[in-house]
Amino acid sequence: MLTFQNVEKRFSGAALLALDAVSFDVGKGRICGLLGHNGAGKSTALGVILGMVHPDKGEALIDGVSVQQAREKALPRVGAIFEAPAFYDYLSGWHNLKSLAAYSGGVSDRLIEETVDWVGLKTRVRDRVSTYSHGMRQRLALAQALLPRPDLLVLDEPTDGLDPEGIVEFREQLLELRERLGLTVLLSSHLLSEVEQLCDEVVILKGGEKIYEGGVDGFDHDIALFRITSDNETETKEMISRLGGRVEGDRFAFPRGVNDSELLASLIGEGAHVSSFRRESTSLEEFYLRSGEEDGTAVDK
Amino acid sequence: MIEFLRLMKWELFRLFARRRTYIGFGVFLVVEIIFLFLWTTQSRESEMEKFINRVAGGFDVYFSGLTLAFLMVVYTMFILGLVFVALVAGDILAKDTEDGNLRLILARPVTRLRLLVVKFLSCQIYTTALFLFVGVSAFAMGVIDRGWGGGFMAWAPPYILEPALFDWNEGMFRYFGAIFTFSLIYLPVTGIAFMLGCFKIKPAAATIVTVAIFIGDSVLSVIPLPAFEPYREFFLTTRMKAWLLLLEEDISWFQFAEQSIWLIGIGFTGFVIGWAAFERRDIKS
Repeated sequence: MLTFQNVEKRFSGAALLALDAVSFDVGKGRICGLLGHNGAGKSTALGVILGMVHPDKGEALIDGVSVQQAREKALPRVGAIFEAPAFYDYLSGWHNLKSLAAYSGGVSDRLIEETVDWVGLKTRVRDRVSTYSHGMRQRLALAQALLPRPDLLVLDEPTDGLDPEGIVEFREQLLELRERLGLTVLLSSHLLSEVEQLCDEVVILKGGEKIYEGGVDGFDHDIALFRITSDNETETKEMISRLGGRVEGDRFAFPRGVNDSELLASLIGEGAHVSSFRRESTSLEEFYLRSGEEDGTAVDK
Repeated sequence: MIEFLRLMKWELFRLFARRRTYIGFGVFLVVEIIFLFLWTTQSRESEMEKFINRVAGGFDVYFSGLTLAFLMVVYTMFILGLVFVALVAGDILAKDTEDGNLRLILARPVTRLRLLVVKFLSCQIYTTALFLFVGVSAFAMGVIDRGWGGGFMAWAPPYILEPALFDWNEGMFRYFGAIFTFSLIYLPVTGIAFMLGCFKIKPAAATIVTVAIFIGDSVLSVIPLPAFEPYREFFLTTRMKAWLLLLEEDISWFQFAEQSIWLIGIGFTGFVIGWAAFERRDIKS
Protein backbone atom coordinates (compact mmCIF):
# COMPACT_ATOMS: atom_id res chain seq x y z
CA MET A 1 0.00 0.00 0.00
CA LEU A 2 2.72 2.45 1.04
CA THR A 3 6.32 2.19 -0.07
CA PHE A 4 8.89 4.61 1.22
CA GLN A 5 11.78 4.13 -1.12
CA ASN A 6 15.35 5.11 -0.30
CA VAL A 7 14.39 8.62 0.74
CA GLU A 8 17.08 11.14 1.51
CA LYS A 9 16.46 14.70 2.65
CA ARG A 10 18.71 17.47 3.90
CA PHE A 11 17.09 20.79 4.76
CA SER A 12 18.95 23.84 3.58
CA GLY A 13 21.41 25.06 6.18
CA ALA A 14 21.29 21.79 8.12
CA ALA A 15 24.52 19.89 8.63
CA LEU A 16 22.86 16.51 9.10
CA LEU A 17 20.49 14.57 6.91
CA ALA A 18 16.90 14.67 8.11
CA LEU A 19 16.34 11.34 6.36
CA ASP A 20 19.22 9.13 5.32
CA ALA A 21 18.26 6.57 2.67
CA VAL A 22 15.19 5.46 4.60
CA SER A 23 13.03 2.72 3.14
CA PHE A 24 10.06 0.85 4.55
CA ASP A 25 6.81 -0.69 3.42
CA VAL A 26 3.36 -0.76 4.95
CA GLY A 27 1.13 -3.53 3.68
CA LYS A 28 -2.57 -3.14 2.92
CA GLY A 29 -4.76 -3.21 6.02
CA ARG A 30 -1.78 -2.94 8.39
CA ILE A 31 -1.28 -0.39 11.14
CA CYS A 32 2.31 0.77 11.23
CA GLY A 33 3.79 2.94 13.95
CA LEU A 34 6.47 5.46 13.09
CA LEU A 35 8.61 6.06 16.13
CA GLY A 36 11.60 8.15 16.93
CA HIS A 37 12.88 10.79 19.30
CA ASN A 38 12.50 14.48 18.57
CA GLY A 39 14.39 15.28 15.38
CA ALA A 40 14.54 11.65 14.29
CA GLY A 41 12.84 12.47 10.98
CA LYS A 42 9.25 11.34 11.59
CA SER A 43 7.56 14.57 10.51
CA THR A 44 9.86 14.83 7.52
CA ALA A 45 8.91 11.29 6.51
CA LEU A 46 5.20 12.09 6.81
CA GLY A 47 5.80 15.31 4.85
CA VAL A 48 7.40 13.31 2.04
CA ILE A 49 4.49 10.84 2.01
CA LEU A 50 2.00 13.70 1.67
CA GLY A 51 4.08 15.60 -0.90
CA MET A 52 4.73 18.56 1.39
CA VAL A 53 8.45 17.96 1.74
CA HIS A 54 10.55 17.48 -1.38
CA PRO A 55 13.09 14.67 -0.94
CA ASP A 56 16.58 15.02 -2.41
CA LYS A 57 16.49 11.36 -3.41
CA GLY A 58 13.94 8.59 -3.40
CA GLU A 59 10.17 8.76 -3.37
CA ALA A 60 7.02 7.68 -1.59
CA LEU A 61 4.65 5.41 -3.51
CA ILE A 62 1.01 4.98 -2.60
CA ASP A 63 -0.52 1.99 -4.33
CA GLY A 64 2.38 2.14 -6.75
CA VAL A 65 1.85 5.82 -7.66
CA SER A 66 4.66 8.20 -6.84
CA VAL A 67 3.58 11.14 -4.69
CA GLN A 68 6.52 13.13 -6.01
CA GLN A 69 5.68 12.46 -9.67
CA ALA A 70 1.88 12.70 -9.55
CA ARG A 71 0.46 13.82 -6.22
CA GLU A 72 -3.04 14.36 -7.71
CA LYS A 73 -3.14 10.68 -8.63
CA ALA A 74 -1.43 9.39 -5.50
CA LEU A 75 -3.37 11.27 -2.82
CA PRO A 76 -7.11 11.03 -3.61
CA ARG A 77 -7.58 8.08 -1.25
CA VAL A 78 -5.38 9.36 1.54
CA GLY A 79 -6.58 11.01 4.73
CA ALA A 80 -4.30 12.82 7.17
CA ILE A 81 -4.52 14.08 10.71
CA PHE A 82 -1.90 16.35 12.18
CA GLU A 83 -0.91 17.19 15.70
CA ALA A 84 -3.08 20.12 16.87
CA PRO A 85 -5.20 20.21 13.70
CA ALA A 86 -5.75 23.73 12.41
CA PHE A 87 -9.18 24.60 11.10
CA TYR A 88 -10.77 27.86 10.08
CA ASP A 89 -12.03 28.85 13.51
CA TYR A 90 -14.47 31.44 12.19
CA LEU A 91 -16.33 28.78 10.16
CA SER A 92 -18.56 26.00 11.43
CA GLY A 93 -17.31 22.41 11.51
CA TRP A 94 -19.66 21.70 8.62
CA HIS A 95 -18.23 24.46 6.42
CA ASN A 96 -14.69 23.40 7.28
CA LEU A 97 -15.50 19.88 6.11
CA LYS A 98 -17.20 21.08 2.92
CA SER A 99 -14.35 23.43 2.17
CA LEU A 100 -11.62 20.81 2.72
CA ALA A 101 -13.55 18.16 0.83
CA ALA A 102 -13.58 20.49 -2.19
CA TYR A 103 -9.84 19.83 -2.53
CA SER A 104 -10.59 16.12 -2.86
CA GLY A 105 -13.17 16.66 -5.58
CA GLY A 106 -16.10 17.35 -3.26
CA VAL A 107 -18.37 14.98 -1.37
CA SER A 108 -22.12 14.75 -0.88
CA ASP A 109 -23.84 16.23 2.16
CA ARG A 110 -25.10 12.77 3.03
CA LEU A 111 -21.57 11.43 3.26
CA ILE A 112 -20.53 14.31 5.48
CA GLU A 113 -23.56 13.71 7.72
CA GLU A 114 -22.70 10.01 7.99
CA THR A 115 -19.08 10.73 8.81
CA VAL A 116 -19.92 13.42 11.34
CA ASP A 117 -22.40 11.07 12.97
CA TRP A 118 -19.80 8.33 13.11
CA VAL A 119 -17.16 10.48 14.81
CA GLY A 120 -19.76 11.75 17.28
CA LEU A 121 -19.91 15.38 16.24
CA LYS A 122 -23.45 15.51 14.90
CA THR A 123 -24.90 17.89 17.49
CA ARG A 124 -22.09 20.45 17.24
CA VAL A 125 -21.09 20.34 13.59
CA ARG A 126 -23.02 23.52 12.74
CA ASP A 127 -21.27 25.48 15.52
CA ARG A 128 -18.18 27.56 14.94
CA VAL A 129 -14.94 25.66 15.40
CA SER A 130 -13.72 28.41 17.74
CA THR A 131 -16.20 27.04 20.31
CA TYR A 132 -14.85 23.46 20.06
CA SER A 133 -12.82 21.71 22.74
CA HIS A 134 -9.56 20.00 21.82
CA GLY A 135 -11.31 16.63 21.73
CA MET A 136 -13.98 17.96 19.37
CA ARG A 137 -11.33 19.38 17.06
CA GLN A 138 -9.73 15.97 17.01
CA ARG A 139 -13.05 14.40 16.05
CA LEU A 140 -13.42 16.97 13.30
CA ALA A 141 -9.89 16.14 12.18
CA LEU A 142 -10.82 12.48 11.99
CA ALA A 143 -13.98 13.36 10.04
CA GLN A 144 -12.06 15.42 7.45
CA ALA A 145 -9.51 12.63 7.07
CA LEU A 146 -12.28 10.08 6.48
CA LEU A 147 -14.22 12.15 3.95
CA PRO A 148 -12.25 11.08 0.87
CA ARG A 149 -13.07 7.49 1.96
CA PRO A 150 -9.34 6.82 2.28
CA ASP A 151 -7.43 3.60 1.85
CA LEU A 152 -4.49 5.07 3.75
CA LEU A 153 -4.63 7.18 6.91
CA VAL A 154 -1.55 9.16 7.88
CA LEU A 155 -1.69 10.21 11.51
CA ASP A 156 0.82 12.59 13.06
CA GLU A 157 0.52 12.53 16.87
CA PRO A 158 -3.27 12.20 16.60
CA THR A 159 -3.89 11.84 20.33
CA ASP A 160 -1.66 14.69 21.37
CA GLY A 161 -3.45 16.77 23.99
CA LEU A 162 -6.35 14.34 24.41
CA ASP A 163 -7.38 13.18 27.88
CA PRO A 164 -7.05 9.45 28.70
CA GLU A 165 -10.71 8.76 27.82
CA GLY A 166 -10.21 10.56 24.51
CA ILE A 167 -7.12 8.48 23.76
CA VAL A 168 -8.95 5.22 24.46
CA GLU A 169 -11.91 6.34 22.36
CA PHE A 170 -9.65 7.34 19.49
CA ARG A 171 -7.87 4.00 19.64
CA GLU A 172 -11.16 2.11 19.52
CA GLN A 173 -12.37 4.22 16.60
CA LEU A 174 -9.20 3.53 14.70
CA LEU A 175 -9.40 -0.21 15.23
CA GLU A 176 -13.05 -0.18 14.22
CA LEU A 177 -12.16 1.76 11.09
CA ARG A 178 -9.55 -0.78 10.14
CA GLU A 179 -12.11 -3.52 10.73
CA ARG A 180 -14.90 -1.83 8.74
CA LEU A 181 -13.00 -0.15 5.93
CA GLY A 182 -9.82 -2.19 5.74
CA LEU A 183 -7.77 0.96 6.22
CA THR A 184 -4.01 1.03 6.16
CA VAL A 185 -2.67 3.34 8.85
CA LEU A 186 0.69 5.01 9.36
CA LEU A 187 0.79 6.38 12.89
CA SER A 188 3.46 8.67 14.23
CA SER A 189 3.26 8.87 18.00
CA HIS A 190 5.29 9.34 21.13
CA LEU A 191 2.86 7.26 23.17
CA LEU A 192 4.57 3.88 23.17
CA SER A 193 1.71 2.09 24.89
CA GLU A 194 -0.60 3.39 22.20
CA VAL A 195 1.71 2.14 19.47
CA GLU A 196 2.06 -1.25 21.16
CA GLN A 197 -1.70 -1.65 21.45
CA LEU A 198 -2.55 -0.41 17.99
CA CYS A 199 0.22 -1.31 15.63
CA ASP A 200 1.02 -4.51 13.81
CA GLU A 201 4.49 -3.26 13.03
CA VAL A 202 6.75 -0.32 13.74
CA VAL A 203 9.45 1.62 12.00
CA ILE A 204 11.90 3.31 14.34
CA LEU A 205 13.97 6.25 13.15
CA LYS A 206 17.01 7.65 14.83
CA GLY A 207 18.93 10.66 13.57
CA GLY A 208 17.32 10.29 10.15
CA GLU A 209 18.21 6.60 9.84
CA LYS A 210 15.93 3.62 10.13
CA ILE A 211 17.11 1.45 13.00
CA TYR A 212 14.25 -1.00 13.14
CA GLU A 213 11.40 -2.23 10.99
CA GLY A 214 9.27 -5.14 12.05
CA GLY A 215 6.72 -6.44 14.54
CA VAL A 216 6.10 -4.77 17.89
CA ASP A 217 7.44 -7.79 19.79
CA GLY A 218 10.51 -8.57 17.77
CA PHE A 219 13.10 -6.25 19.23
CA ASP A 220 15.30 -8.91 20.81
CA HIS A 221 16.37 -10.05 17.37
CA ASP A 222 20.06 -9.80 18.27
CA ILE A 223 19.98 -10.86 21.93
CA ALA A 224 18.12 -13.22 24.25
CA LEU A 225 17.12 -11.81 27.62
CA PHE A 226 16.81 -13.87 30.79
CA ARG A 227 15.67 -13.06 34.30
CA ILE A 228 17.73 -15.28 36.57
CA THR A 229 17.77 -15.28 40.37
CA SER A 230 20.02 -17.42 42.50
CA ASP A 231 21.12 -17.86 46.11
CA ASN A 232 24.80 -17.26 45.18
CA GLU A 233 24.33 -14.13 43.07
CA THR A 234 27.97 -13.04 42.75
CA GLU A 235 29.19 -16.42 41.63
CA THR A 236 26.26 -16.79 39.27
CA LYS A 237 27.13 -13.50 37.57
CA GLU A 238 30.68 -14.71 37.02
CA MET A 239 29.38 -17.97 35.56
CA ILE A 240 27.02 -16.07 33.26
CA SER A 241 29.92 -13.99 32.08
CA ARG A 242 31.95 -17.10 31.35
CA LEU A 243 29.03 -18.49 29.37
CA GLY A 244 28.98 -15.38 27.13
CA GLY A 245 26.24 -13.43 28.90
CA ARG A 246 26.24 -9.85 30.22
CA VAL A 247 24.20 -7.77 32.62
CA GLU A 248 21.40 -5.85 30.90
CA GLY A 249 19.60 -3.83 33.57
CA ASP A 250 18.15 -6.31 36.02
CA ARG A 251 18.38 -9.11 33.48
CA PHE A 252 21.05 -11.00 31.56
CA ALA A 253 21.59 -10.84 27.84
CA PHE A 254 22.96 -13.75 25.81
CA PRO A 255 23.63 -14.04 22.12
CA ARG A 256 20.50 -14.77 20.14
CA GLY A 257 20.10 -18.52 19.53
CA VAL A 258 21.07 -19.65 22.97
CA ASN A 259 19.08 -22.68 24.09
CA ASP A 260 17.11 -22.13 27.33
CA SER A 261 17.49 -25.72 28.71
CA GLU A 262 21.17 -25.92 27.79
CA LEU A 263 21.86 -22.57 29.42
CA LEU A 264 20.05 -23.57 32.62
CA ALA A 265 21.85 -26.92 32.68
CA SER A 266 25.21 -25.23 32.20
CA LEU A 267 24.55 -22.78 35.04
CA ILE A 268 23.52 -25.55 37.42
CA GLY A 269 26.45 -27.62 36.24
CA GLU A 270 28.81 -24.72 37.03
CA GLY A 271 27.37 -24.57 40.57
CA ALA A 272 24.81 -21.79 40.38
CA HIS A 273 21.98 -22.15 42.94
CA VAL A 274 19.28 -21.06 40.51
CA SER A 275 15.95 -20.28 42.18
CA SER A 276 14.16 -18.85 39.13
CA PHE A 277 14.94 -18.80 35.44
CA ARG A 278 12.76 -17.10 32.79
CA ARG A 279 13.31 -15.90 29.21
CA GLU A 280 11.84 -12.41 28.59
CA SER A 281 11.40 -10.32 25.49
CA THR A 282 12.48 -6.74 24.99
CA SER A 283 9.51 -4.41 25.13
CA LEU A 284 9.02 -1.62 22.65
CA GLU A 285 9.62 0.87 25.42
CA GLU A 286 12.95 -0.72 26.38
CA PHE A 287 14.11 -0.77 22.81
CA TYR A 288 12.98 2.79 22.24
CA LEU A 289 14.63 4.12 25.38
CA ARG A 290 17.81 2.21 24.65
CA SER A 291 18.02 3.70 21.16
CA GLY A 292 17.86 7.18 22.71
CA GLU A 293 20.38 6.44 25.44
CA GLU A 294 22.98 5.38 22.91
CA ASP A 295 23.33 8.85 21.47
CA GLY A 296 22.12 10.78 24.48
CA THR A 297 18.96 11.98 22.72
CA ALA A 298 16.28 13.19 25.09
CA VAL A 299 13.48 10.74 25.40
CA ASP A 300 10.05 12.23 24.96
CA LYS A 301 7.56 9.73 26.28
CA MET B 1 -13.32 23.00 -14.69
CA ILE B 2 -16.15 22.15 -12.29
CA GLU B 3 -13.60 21.19 -9.67
CA PHE B 4 -11.75 24.46 -10.20
CA LEU B 5 -14.97 26.44 -9.80
CA ARG B 6 -15.79 24.46 -6.66
CA LEU B 7 -12.40 25.41 -5.21
CA MET B 8 -13.00 29.05 -6.18
CA LYS B 9 -16.38 28.98 -4.49
CA TRP B 10 -14.97 27.72 -1.19
CA GLU B 11 -11.93 29.99 -1.31
CA LEU B 12 -14.22 32.99 -1.77
CA PHE B 13 -16.56 31.65 0.91
CA ARG B 14 -13.68 31.49 3.38
CA LEU B 15 -12.39 34.91 2.35
CA PHE B 16 -15.73 36.66 2.66
CA ALA B 17 -16.67 34.81 5.85
CA ARG B 18 -13.85 36.59 7.68
CA ARG B 19 -14.75 39.83 9.39
CA ARG B 20 -11.44 41.47 8.56
CA THR B 21 -12.23 41.16 4.84
CA TYR B 22 -14.91 43.80 5.37
CA ILE B 23 -12.72 46.31 7.16
CA GLY B 24 -11.79 47.85 3.81
CA PHE B 25 -15.43 48.22 2.79
CA GLY B 26 -16.26 49.86 6.12
CA VAL B 27 -13.29 52.23 6.06
CA PHE B 28 -14.07 53.41 2.54
CA LEU B 29 -17.67 54.05 3.53
CA VAL B 30 -16.59 56.10 6.53
CA VAL B 31 -14.09 58.08 4.45
CA GLU B 32 -16.76 58.85 1.84
CA ILE B 33 -19.16 60.02 4.54
CA ILE B 34 -16.47 62.27 6.05
CA PHE B 35 -15.62 63.59 2.58
CA LEU B 36 -19.26 64.41 1.95
CA PHE B 37 -19.66 65.98 5.38
CA LEU B 38 -16.62 68.21 4.90
CA TRP B 39 -17.69 69.07 1.38
CA THR B 40 -21.15 70.06 2.57
CA THR B 41 -20.05 72.05 5.62
CA GLN B 42 -16.99 73.65 4.03
CA SER B 43 -18.46 73.90 0.58
CA ARG B 44 -16.39 75.54 -2.10
CA GLU B 45 -19.36 75.38 -4.44
CA SER B 46 -19.20 79.07 -5.30
CA GLU B 47 -15.66 78.62 -6.64
CA MET B 48 -16.67 75.37 -8.31
CA GLU B 49 -19.67 77.12 -9.85
CA LYS B 50 -17.48 79.84 -11.29
CA PHE B 51 -15.03 77.25 -12.63
CA ILE B 52 -17.67 75.02 -14.23
CA ASN B 53 -19.56 77.93 -15.70
CA ARG B 54 -16.28 79.14 -17.18
CA VAL B 55 -15.16 75.84 -18.72
CA ALA B 56 -18.47 74.20 -19.56
CA GLY B 57 -21.45 76.31 -18.61
CA GLY B 58 -24.34 74.66 -16.77
CA PHE B 59 -23.13 74.23 -13.20
CA ASP B 60 -26.26 72.29 -12.17
CA VAL B 61 -25.79 69.87 -15.09
CA TYR B 62 -22.09 69.16 -14.72
CA PHE B 63 -21.70 69.33 -10.95
CA SER B 64 -23.83 66.21 -10.70
CA GLY B 65 -23.88 63.30 -8.28
CA LEU B 66 -21.54 61.53 -10.70
CA THR B 67 -19.02 64.38 -10.62
CA LEU B 68 -19.06 64.48 -6.82
CA ALA B 69 -18.71 60.67 -6.69
CA PHE B 70 -15.68 60.88 -8.95
CA LEU B 71 -14.06 63.45 -6.67
CA MET B 72 -14.65 61.12 -3.74
CA VAL B 73 -13.00 58.12 -5.35
CA VAL B 74 -10.13 59.75 -7.21
CA TYR B 75 -8.47 61.12 -4.07
CA THR B 76 -9.05 58.13 -1.80
CA MET B 77 -9.00 54.93 -3.81
CA PHE B 78 -5.30 54.49 -4.45
CA ILE B 79 -3.88 54.93 -0.94
CA LEU B 80 -6.72 53.32 1.02
CA GLY B 81 -7.06 50.50 -1.49
CA LEU B 82 -3.34 49.81 -1.15
CA VAL B 83 -3.69 48.94 2.53
CA PHE B 84 -6.62 46.59 2.15
CA VAL B 85 -5.63 44.86 -1.06
CA ALA B 86 -2.11 44.27 0.31
CA LEU B 87 -3.67 42.98 3.53
CA VAL B 88 -5.81 40.40 1.73
CA ALA B 89 -3.24 39.37 -0.88
CA GLY B 90 -0.40 39.15 1.64
CA ASP B 91 -2.57 37.22 4.03
CA ILE B 92 -4.37 34.72 1.87
CA LEU B 93 -1.55 32.19 1.66
CA ALA B 94 0.82 33.29 4.42
CA LYS B 95 -1.94 33.15 7.05
CA ASP B 96 -2.90 29.62 6.00
CA THR B 97 0.74 28.62 6.34
CA GLU B 98 1.15 30.33 9.70
CA ASP B 99 -2.06 28.89 11.17
CA GLY B 100 -1.39 25.39 9.88
CA ASN B 101 -4.45 25.19 7.60
CA LEU B 102 -2.18 24.73 4.62
CA ARG B 103 -1.05 21.30 5.83
CA LEU B 104 -4.62 20.02 5.81
CA ILE B 105 -5.12 21.47 2.33
CA LEU B 106 -1.85 20.16 0.91
CA ALA B 107 -2.62 16.68 2.22
CA ARG B 108 -5.31 16.68 -0.50
CA PRO B 109 -4.76 15.79 -4.14
CA VAL B 110 -4.41 19.36 -5.32
CA THR B 111 -1.39 20.79 -7.10
CA ARG B 112 0.31 23.80 -5.59
CA LEU B 113 -0.17 25.73 -8.82
CA ARG B 114 -3.92 25.18 -8.76
CA LEU B 115 -4.05 26.21 -5.13
CA LEU B 116 -2.17 29.43 -5.90
CA VAL B 117 -4.26 30.25 -8.97
CA VAL B 118 -7.43 29.89 -6.91
CA LYS B 119 -6.08 32.11 -4.15
CA PHE B 120 -4.70 34.71 -6.57
CA LEU B 121 -7.97 34.95 -8.48
CA SER B 122 -9.83 35.28 -5.19
CA CYS B 123 -7.63 38.26 -4.32
CA GLN B 124 -8.40 39.82 -7.67
CA ILE B 125 -12.14 39.25 -7.17
CA TYR B 126 -11.84 40.89 -3.75
CA THR B 127 -10.03 43.88 -5.30
CA THR B 128 -12.69 44.29 -7.97
CA ALA B 129 -15.49 43.92 -5.42
CA LEU B 130 -13.87 46.48 -3.12
CA PHE B 131 -13.38 49.12 -5.80
CA LEU B 132 -16.81 48.58 -7.35
CA PHE B 133 -18.27 48.96 -3.85
CA VAL B 134 -16.34 52.21 -3.47
CA GLY B 135 -17.62 53.40 -6.84
CA VAL B 136 -21.24 52.46 -6.18
CA SER B 137 -21.33 53.85 -2.64
CA ALA B 138 -19.70 57.13 -3.74
CA PHE B 139 -22.15 57.33 -6.62
CA ALA B 140 -25.10 56.76 -4.26
CA MET B 141 -23.88 59.46 -1.88
CA GLY B 142 -23.15 61.84 -4.72
CA VAL B 143 -26.63 61.39 -6.14
CA ILE B 144 -28.22 61.86 -2.71
CA ASP B 145 -26.27 65.08 -2.21
CA ARG B 146 -26.27 66.57 -5.73
CA GLY B 147 -29.03 64.73 -7.58
CA TRP B 148 -28.74 63.37 -11.12
CA GLY B 149 -27.74 66.62 -12.73
CA GLY B 150 -27.54 65.25 -16.23
CA GLY B 151 -23.84 65.49 -16.97
CA PHE B 152 -20.39 64.48 -15.72
CA MET B 153 -17.23 66.52 -15.46
CA ALA B 154 -14.03 64.54 -14.94
CA TRP B 155 -11.68 67.00 -13.31
CA ALA B 156 -9.42 66.32 -10.35
CA PRO B 157 -6.24 68.37 -9.99
CA PRO B 158 -3.39 67.47 -10.00
CA TYR B 159 -4.36 64.21 -11.76
CA ILE B 160 -6.71 65.66 -14.36
CA LEU B 161 -6.08 69.31 -15.04
CA GLU B 162 -8.11 69.62 -18.23
CA PRO B 163 -11.77 68.98 -17.43
CA ALA B 164 -13.55 66.45 -19.66
CA LEU B 165 -17.30 66.84 -20.11
CA PHE B 166 -19.75 63.99 -20.77
CA ASP B 167 -23.50 63.54 -20.88
CA TRP B 168 -25.06 61.35 -18.20
CA ASN B 169 -24.99 58.00 -20.06
CA GLU B 170 -21.48 58.46 -21.38
CA GLY B 171 -20.42 59.70 -17.94
CA MET B 172 -21.84 56.62 -16.19
CA PHE B 173 -20.08 54.37 -18.66
CA ARG B 174 -16.77 56.22 -18.25
CA TYR B 175 -17.03 56.40 -14.45
CA PHE B 176 -17.78 52.71 -13.82
CA GLY B 177 -15.53 51.58 -16.68
CA ALA B 178 -12.63 53.53 -15.18
CA ILE B 179 -13.23 52.06 -11.71
CA PHE B 180 -13.39 48.53 -13.07
CA THR B 181 -10.19 49.17 -15.02
CA PHE B 182 -8.57 50.56 -11.88
CA SER B 183 -9.18 47.22 -10.16
CA LEU B 184 -7.32 45.48 -13.02
CA ILE B 185 -4.33 47.79 -13.15
CA TYR B 186 -4.06 47.45 -9.39
CA LEU B 187 -2.67 43.99 -10.15
CA PRO B 188 0.92 44.93 -9.21
CA VAL B 189 -0.25 45.43 -5.60
CA THR B 190 -1.95 42.03 -5.56
CA GLY B 191 0.97 40.41 -7.36
CA ILE B 192 3.71 41.76 -5.08
CA ALA B 193 1.80 41.09 -1.82
CA PHE B 194 0.87 37.61 -3.02
CA MET B 195 4.43 36.90 -4.11
CA LEU B 196 5.78 37.84 -0.68
CA GLY B 197 3.14 35.63 0.97
CA CYS B 198 4.49 32.66 -1.01
CA PHE B 199 7.83 32.93 0.78
CA LYS B 200 8.40 31.90 4.37
CA ILE B 201 7.21 35.18 5.80
CA LYS B 202 4.69 36.40 8.36
CA PRO B 203 1.41 37.62 6.82
CA ALA B 204 1.81 41.05 8.41
CA ALA B 205 5.31 41.37 6.96
CA ALA B 206 4.00 40.64 3.44
CA THR B 207 1.42 43.40 3.84
CA ILE B 208 3.78 45.95 5.37
CA VAL B 209 6.53 45.38 2.79
CA THR B 210 4.02 45.77 -0.06
CA VAL B 211 2.60 48.98 1.37
CA ALA B 212 6.14 50.29 1.92
CA ILE B 213 7.11 49.51 -1.69
CA PHE B 214 4.16 51.44 -3.11
CA ILE B 215 4.36 54.35 -0.68
CA GLY B 216 8.08 54.62 -1.46
CA ASP B 217 7.35 54.45 -5.17
CA SER B 218 4.66 57.08 -4.83
CA VAL B 219 6.92 59.44 -2.85
CA LEU B 220 9.74 59.13 -5.36
CA SER B 221 7.41 59.62 -8.31
CA VAL B 222 6.21 63.04 -7.14
CA ILE B 223 9.56 64.61 -6.21
CA PRO B 224 9.50 67.73 -8.38
CA LEU B 225 13.23 67.88 -9.06
CA PRO B 226 14.50 67.82 -12.66
CA ALA B 227 16.84 64.91 -11.87
CA PHE B 228 13.82 62.68 -11.26
CA GLU B 229 11.97 63.69 -14.41
CA PRO B 230 13.48 61.11 -16.83
CA TYR B 231 12.58 58.27 -14.47
CA ARG B 232 9.09 59.38 -13.49
CA GLU B 233 7.33 57.25 -16.09
CA PHE B 234 8.97 54.11 -14.76
CA PHE B 235 7.46 54.35 -11.31
CA LEU B 236 4.62 51.93 -10.72
CA THR B 237 2.38 54.55 -9.18
CA THR B 238 2.87 56.85 -12.17
CA ARG B 239 1.76 54.08 -14.50
CA MET B 240 -1.12 53.17 -12.25
CA LYS B 241 -2.73 56.49 -13.10
CA ALA B 242 -3.52 54.93 -16.48
CA TRP B 243 -7.14 54.42 -15.43
CA LEU B 244 -7.61 58.19 -15.60
CA LEU B 245 -6.86 58.05 -19.33
CA LEU B 246 -10.33 56.54 -19.72
CA LEU B 247 -11.77 59.80 -18.43
CA GLU B 248 -10.22 61.91 -21.18
CA GLU B 249 -12.62 63.08 -23.87
CA ASP B 250 -10.41 61.48 -26.52
CA ILE B 251 -8.91 58.38 -24.99
CA SER B 252 -5.23 57.73 -25.79
CA TRP B 253 -5.77 54.03 -26.38
CA PHE B 254 -2.18 53.26 -27.26
CA GLN B 255 -0.85 54.88 -24.11
CA PHE B 256 -3.57 53.20 -22.07
CA ALA B 257 -2.80 49.75 -23.52
CA GLU B 258 0.95 50.22 -23.04
CA GLN B 259 0.58 51.20 -19.38
CA SER B 260 -2.01 48.51 -18.64
CA ILE B 261 0.00 45.70 -20.22
CA TRP B 262 3.05 46.84 -18.28
CA LEU B 263 1.15 46.85 -14.99
CA ILE B 264 -0.64 43.55 -15.58
CA GLY B 265 2.72 42.07 -16.55
CA ILE B 266 4.21 43.20 -13.22
CA GLY B 267 1.28 41.61 -11.39
CA PHE B 268 1.63 38.27 -13.16
CA THR B 269 5.41 38.34 -12.77
CA GLY B 270 4.83 38.63 -9.03
CA PHE B 271 2.55 35.62 -9.21
CA VAL B 272 5.07 33.55 -11.20
CA ILE B 273 7.95 34.37 -8.82
CA GLY B 274 5.72 33.50 -5.87
CA TRP B 275 4.67 30.24 -7.51
CA ALA B 276 8.28 29.27 -8.22
CA ALA B 277 9.21 29.95 -4.59
CA PHE B 278 6.18 28.18 -3.16
CA GLU B 279 6.64 25.15 -5.41
CA ARG B 280 10.10 24.60 -3.95
CA ARG B 281 9.14 25.14 -0.34
CA ASP B 282 8.99 22.34 2.18
CA ILE B 283 5.84 22.68 4.26
CA LYS B 284 6.51 21.19 7.64
CA SER B 285 5.17 21.75 11.14
